[in-house]
Amino acid sequence: MEQVTSSLAPPRSAPKTTVSGSSTDVAGSVTKRLSSELMTLMMSSSPGISAFPKSDANLFEWLGTIEGAPGTIYAGLTFRISISFPANYPYVAPTLKFDTPCYHPNVDITGGAICLDILQDKWSAVYSVHTILLSLQSLLGEPNNASPLNSDAAGLWDTPEAFKAQLMKYYRPISDASA
Amino acid sequence: MATTALRAQVASKWQESFNRLNKNEPGIAGLMRFSQAWEVATEFLRPKDISDPNALKTYNLATIRVAFDVVNQARRLPVMLEVYMDDIRKQQHLITQEVTAHMFRYEQSANPGIVLELVMRLVEWYNAWAPIPELGNTIRDAYTLTFQTHLFSVLPPSFTPGFKALCASTLPPISSDNDALPEANPRMWAAFETLGLFDRYEALIASVVYQHIEAHVLETCAGKWDEPVLPGLRDWMGKKVIKWMFSPYARGAKTTEEATVMLQGPGQRFDFHMSKTLCDLRTKEIFDIVIDYPDSSGALQDLKECLQRVDQRADLVRTLRTANKKRLLHPGADTKDILTQYVSTIRCLRIIDPPGVLLFKVADPIRRYLRERPDTIRSIVASLVGDGESGDSLVDENEPINPLQQPEIEDYTDPNWEPEPIDAGPDFRANKPSDVISTLVSIYDSKDLFVKELQVLLAQRLLAIQDGNFDKERRNIEILKIRFGEAALQVCEVMLKDMTDSRRTDQHVQSQQTFVLHPTIISRQFWPALESSGIVMPGQFETLQKEYAKEFSRFKPDKKLRWLPHLGTVHLEVQLQDREVTADVPPLEAAFIELFSEKNIWTVDDLISRVGSVDRSSALKALATWVDLGVLKEDAENSFRLLEIAEEATPGTRTAAARQAAIDEAPPVAGVQQQQAEQMRVYWKFIEGMLTNLGQLSLDRIQGMLKFAPGYDRTMDQLSSFMEAARMEGLVTIKDGMWKLNR
Repeated sequence: MEQVTSSLAPPRSAPKTTVSGSSTDVAGSVTKRLSSELMTLMMSSSPGISAFPKSDANLFEWLGTIEGAPGTIYAGLTFRISISFPANYPYVAPTLKFDTPCYHPNVDITGGAICLDILQDKWSAVYSVHTILLSLQSLLGEPNNASPLNSDAAGLWDTPEAFKAQLMKYYRPISDASA
Repeated sequence: MATTALRAQVASKWQESFNRLNKNEPGIAGLMRFSQAWEVATEFLRPKDISDPNALKTYNLATIRVAFDVVNQARRLPVMLEVYMDDIRKQQHLITQEVTAHMFRYEQSANPGIVLELVMRLVEWYNAWAPIPELGNTIRDAYTLTFQTHLFSVLPPSFTPGFKALCASTLPPISSDNDALPEANPRMWAAFETLGLFDRYEALIASVVYQHIEAHVLETCAGKWDEPVLPGLRDWMGKKVIKWMFSPYARGAKTTEEATVMLQGPGQRFDFHMSKTLCDLRTKEIFDIVIDYPDSSGALQDLKECLQRVDQRADLVRTLRTANKKRLLHPGADTKDILTQYVSTIRCLRIIDPPGVLLFKVADPIRRYLRERPDTIRSIVASLVGDGESGDSLVDENEPINPLQQPEIEDYTDPNWEPEPIDAGPDFRANKPSDVISTLVSIYDSKDLFVKELQVLLAQRLLAIQDGNFDKERRNIEILKIRFGEAALQVCEVMLKDMTDSRRTDQHVQSQQTFVLHPTIISRQFWPALESSGIVMPGQFETLQKEYAKEFSRFKPDKKLRWLPHLGTVHLEVQLQDREVTADVPPLEAAFIELFSEKNIWTVDDLISRVGSVDRSSALKALATWVDLGVLKEDAENSFRLLEIAEEATPGTRTAAARQAAIDEAPPVAGVQQQQAEQMRVYWKFIEGMLTNLGQLSLDRIQGMLKFAPGYDRTMDQLSSFMEAARMEGLVTIKDGMWKLNR
């Protein structure tokens, strides 16, 4: 019975106005933070990394682009990733995943999930989209083979030719279709 | 049969009438008596020509009364009245004559006195023809109606203006100092009343007063803005107009209270009209009132009071907007003047309407116009730092220095919260920043532009300081820090520090080795882009620079000097065979004269090639300076010769002041235009970002996404032309209306 009543109650009616007011304030401050991160990212001229909100209506879903750094095995390849910010960002890390299949020891080849410490237990509010993208870019060149998500890839890492062959087998270039 | 009955009927009627008239008197004595009384009564009532003395007779009122009684007893009074009215109608031509004669005279002379004469004369006629009161009100009313109906039907069109002039003549003349009321003429007003002129021409009488008030207001108040005129006007109304109003409007009042009640209605109408007239006048003058502020605060007080009584706010806004558009917001007006006028407008309208609704409506076009002017920011910033020369700073000295206010979200928990005024527009924001600087800064969406311009201006001012006294600039920066916040002015702080530091560095370098060169060392990262130039200083200047640089790098090994030789001045003593010339000149001039120490004759092209890249016009200008000083002479075209021995000064030598101007001009710092380009570059980064990540996009979506860019305010058309420009540069391509990056 209790369950029924609680589910019937409108989800947001319980908190008093002050509380809901502060929660909108929080949403406002997250938006503000994301806007300023976007500004920083746009104005920074780090080569090969970029991201932008998917639509002008929602600042919490972004698409990003990472180019493999020159001199690494990923050079010349471009990967699309999606970034999803939680409502309590930056206290909780955003969720990132590869949309372009990425053959990499720390990336799940089917789901695109990424194993990167700063996105999990090492997350801190001082990180930003810019730093995350930079870390991801360097992760491409220097994988952490100690904790692989894709153990095949981790095994092949020391034989670059075989690795590159596998990489290119899975890789799909980004199409220009509008997101 | 019927005839018999009829005959009997007639006979009985006849007998009855006869009896009534005869009153049972013997024979026909009663009938005779009635007949006599009828004669007397009708003769008495018959309207007579009062201008004919023979017609005027005196009657024995007692006889007449008896006669009326007899007629009345015989119940023949109604018949007699009909005869009376008939007689009046027959005599009406007399009135017509009278009216025509008088009005003819009036039309000839235009003297309202004649109208008065006519009115008095008509009253005489009226009284002469009037039935005696004993006959009762019904008869009198019928008479009055007949008389007035006829009278009004014969009054010529010229009577109306004549009557108006007559009314006006009872009011004090407007322009005379002695505006005592002319003697009140109660008889005249009574006459108006008698003749029914008052009711008929009430609107006309009121309009006379209205015009009188209008004339008085225009006469006494036009152009008088220094103090409120409304109290004076009210006083005048009380003394003159109200006094005058007693005769027409409070006639018949027995006591003062009664009179007051009777006067209240028209009095309020007149007071309203006075307010309206003053309001119209001030509305018409509003633009000049704003210009004259603060000497026109009286007028503003009046306007405020009038607007509360008369609802003409919309009118005021419209007038001021039109005036602004016509007189202010055009290319002929100086930006500084527009700003001054805007600030005055702010102050004036805040007096008139503290909530700021009027201001919001008037300010909008000004702000939009200012936003389009390229030098607006510069002007505002110049006045922010109190650019001494102009004198009238936009900012009131006494106004406390406050941090910039951001428009706040409305606080509905505020116990003093008030709803927006009823005529506020949809975009109206109640919590408008209230101090002038905040308002000016809010013309633009972000204060960054101001801060950038401030840096540019500061750079100019610092570089122009010769005596090393930076106190004024420091003070300015401290004040601006309060307004804009510490962070925004950090760069300015560094610039100021550079100036003091370079003096210290110079002192140190000089202590190692004495130089005549005193450079100002600035941090390239923090200063706005300085105009660059390719001048290479020749000869001893080059040597000086090199040695100084060596000494400097010994003092600060991690730093390297990059010379900007074209900025600065050189104090020179030129020693010639017969004389010595001293001059303060720009570096280019110094470089040229240095070259002349190598040989005496140079062509312009050779000179230019020796100093690196300067454009020809500035080279010629530099040479002209020396020609003016009598040091060089242009022999052939483009060929200059050093005058070791002075020649006679050629006429048309420029004065020293003009030379000074040559040094001062050309500000070395990049201005707002570059900054706007800078801003567009920010937008380009965003466009690039979205196209990289989202693939191809339509123009709509780009425009929509650009709202993420701070301060983006371009229109779709501007964006479209911007994208087109980017396409021309090969940065983007378009296919089927979708833009994508070109790579």
